[in-house]
Amino acid sequence: METFDVIVIGAGPGGYPAAIRAAQLGARVAIVEKEKLGGTCLNWGCIPTKALIGAAETFEKIKHAGKLGIIVTGASVDYAAMSGHKNGVVQQLREGIDSLLKANGVTQFAGMASFVDRTTLEVNGTRLGAKKIIIATGSTSAMPGFLPKHPRVVESRAFLDLQKLPATLIVLGGGFIGCELACMAAMLGVKVTVVELLEDILLALDADVRREVRAHMEKNLGIRVLTGKGLDKISADDKAARGQVGDETLTADILLCAIGRKPVTDGLKLENAGLKTNERGYIETDDYGRTKVATIFAIGDVTGKIQLAHYATAQGLTAAENAVQPKPHRHDTIVPNVIFTAPEIGTVGLSEADAKKQNRTVKTGKFRFAGLGKALAVGETAGFVKWIADAATDQLLGAAVVGPHATDLIAEAAAAIRAELTVAELGRTIHAHPTFSESWMEAAHAVHGECVHAPPKRK
Amino acid sequence: MATPIIMPKFGQMTEESAIVEWLKKEGDRVEKGDILFSVETDKSVMEVESFEAGTLLKIVVPPGVNVPVQSTVGFLGNPGEAIPAVTAPAPAPASAPSMPETSRTAPPAVAAPKAPAPRAAEPAFSVATPPVAAPAAAASPAPALFRISPRAATLARNSVIDPTRIKGSGPFGRVVEKDVRAYLYKHGYAQLRITPSAKEKAAKEKLDLLTLAGTGDGGRITMADVDRALAERPRTMNKMRQIIAQRLTQSVVTAPHFFVTVEVDMTELVRLRAQLKEKGAPFTVTDFIAEAAVLTLKEFPDVNSTTDGKTVRWHSHVHLGVAVSLDQGLVVPVIRHADELTLAELNAQAKDLAERARAGKLPPDEMSGSTFTISNMGMLDVENFTAIINPGESAILAVSSTVKKPVVRDEKVVVRSIMKLTLSSDHRIIDGAMAAKFANAIKQKLEDIELWKRLTS
Repeated sequence: METFDVIVIGAGPGGYPAAIRAAQLGARVAIVEKEKLGGTCLNWGCIPTKALIGAAETFEKIKHAGKLGIIVTGASVDYAAMSGHKNGVVQQLREGIDSLLKANGVTQFAGMASFVDRTTLEVNGTRLGAKKIIIATGSTSAMPGFLPKHPRVVESRAFLDLQKLPATLIVLGGGFIGCELACMAAMLGVKVTVVELLEDILLALDADVRREVRAHMEKNLGIRVLTGKGLDKISADDKAARGQVGDETLTADILLCAIGRKPVTDGLKLENAGLKTNERGYIETDDYGRTKVATIFAIGDVTGKIQLAHYATAQGLTAAENAVQPKPHRHDTIVPNVIFTAPEIGTVGLSEADAKKQNRTVKTGKFRFAGLGKALAVGETAGFVKWIADAATDQLLGAAVVGPHATDLIAEAAAAIRAELTVAELGRTIHAHPTFSESWMEAAHAVHGECVHAPPKRK
Repeated sequence: MATPIIMPKFGQMTEESAIVEWLKKEGDRVEKGDILFSVETDKSVMEVESFEAGTLLKIVVPPGVNVPVQSTVGFLGNPGEAIPAVTAPAPAPASAPSMPETSRTAPPAVAAPKAPAPRAAEPAFSVATPPVAAPAAAASPAPALFRISPRAATLARNSVIDPTRIKGSGPFGRVVEKDVRAYLYKHGYAQLRITPSAKEKAAKEKLDLLTLAGTGDGGRITMADVDRALAERPRTMNKMRQIIAQRLTQSVVTAPHFFVTVEVDMTELVRLRAQLKEKGAPFTVTDFIAEAAVLTLKEFPDVNSTTDGKTVRWHSHVHLGVAVSLDQGLVVPVIRHADELTLAELNAQAKDLAERARAGKLPPDEMSGSTFTISNMGMLDVENFTAIINPGESAILAVSSTVKKPVVRDEKVVVRSIMKLTLSSDHRIIDGAMAAKFANAIKQKLEDIELWKRLTS
């Protein structure tokens, strides 16, 4: 039986960095992948959606280029070519991972892994031994049983494989996946309706952030957003997919189900290793990435914590280090969250609502892009940045940005919050002019009521 | 003229009290009978009602400051009415002898507005509540004055360290800037790493950075480290706990304790109680034990006595203390003249006292003067325990849980409901033989079912 120091199950954004880090630290490492290197993120998630959203945003800009003095006529979308661009990007990145694994001496096994015992796995009938095992099997779209099995009813993965855009689309679920794809399709000219059972879309965000995004989706992209009601009597046939919201029947070419993701543990035979999933199906871990079995780690979506690729990567690196090195350390807890809607959203740390729930005196400072020179100059003025701070210590607790480049802008906030900077320090940090990043400085000044580029608040 | 609001005197023993919370704000309308504020005394928190209607014109004593009873704590009157110029009464000093005679004997402090109030210039809240004044404790010598130069103090404050740990090189040990710099250098202050927010909070909470252990990147002190240090910081115990600490330590130190345990077969009495309960009689197991103890105390006068080590004083009446546990501590309400009460009266009084004690509505007078105490932990599933004698008494009875157990009766093993009683005795008065007889006398009474049928009929 071939044996390794570390075997990683799953080569997604958590698994392959874990394998490479363990190899960098001198361990003999293998990685097992049942489908494609890169996992959901690279093949059917983050990357392909951003390829399409990037193209859609370019098209959107071209449509509105007139106000900047650029006259474009006859712009149109060749979705097949767009999809080809997306597939090319995915292909290139996948090959990159393959060569990185090889360069680091990580042995690859293609197939399903299952536990024989705590230190033995079986892949395609072959047994592999390992001192430490890292489970990184990820998650998959939840497709509830009441949905009809029909090509017109798809989840996000099948939606990305469509060769032709539908004319009309119903998105079931107003979470971040549903809203990202709804915005993308709407920018490319699809008539979109989003149906969310809860009282609002993107409910984990602060109300002011949600209001900004929803208003843009409804007014500028023409998306119908129906909230507080479920989609009933869902059916599909050769002509259309249908569903009922209240008294109204919705009809569309495609129904996209984006109501959440569920962990992948089928076929792992966890019981052979003495492991169990919790009542929601996740593998529980401590802050060091360890499961209940000391030599088995779990990372990423399958742990049911924060389902984001970069969090999986951080967990993966920590788990690999803890699996190989003698002194364990905890993984970080400041996790930026980015949503590629139109406009984009970035958040990190505590939301205003959560900070208030912690029994603190909370102060906020907001700065709207409409007051920013750079934003006006390039014609991207929607949205704002917001700091959430502790009034007692001036500590930056959280940040939210909605608007242009929000997903990049949030990086500064993440670094500042992790370093436990105070509002005053962030405000004294010189920010380059004219840039979008100046808004963080302005918002920090606003926390103390000292914003230069906004009228004083009436007392 | 505005009417002064006076800190009332609760019980004979109380000489000082602190306001826990003002329930009315300055300017609030107050009706007669409205609760103005709550007061923490040695033993409980009491609410104080207004005797008159009016507007709360001024709060003189903020919460948390110990002041002598009968002090003026605020003023009531009509809006706009003149308030006599009065300085906040001096916070009660740590030891009684130094208390200025004027503020204790003067009728309502307002009548003597010129009463010299030492340190009145300082804001009252800056004076920490002194630890419980132990009347017997000798006044401790005043701590040596800490001297520091303004520049040194500023440097220490900006460095977020505690300058009182520094040995001064100036006259009379005065700490000067050079001393602070040397201290910082010696303790590796320059190598200290801390996040800005953590430093801000440490300064605000007056922590000493040099005492903090950093767990962040490269040993950097983070918010989590500051929060941990704050959580571990010694907290002042509430008045009740301080009193418990003081009194029980005093008891253990002065009274040589010894312990005698007996097993009581409660099978018949538990059955009788169940039958009585079905008929609606409210007796509890504690009532039976209390009654048995009272009856036995009449047979053993030495147990119902007090000693100071030289004299013994017998109490002609039994004032029975029954320990009641509260969330924040323990109180011992006293059933007065328990020896003159019927079992039903005993039950009614015990119930009333326990309920008021749990609600924090028991005045101190109803929690002092007991001659013997019972501590019942039967509901807490304990095999056996020993209790500490209440100061001023010579014994205490610890009642443990009643548990079904195999025991030998007539050479056969049978299952009976067994309860252990442990008597703690003060060996200065009580010897082993007497304690054994006393404990067995209670046991025999509890096992004498005919006695209880008579007492409950």
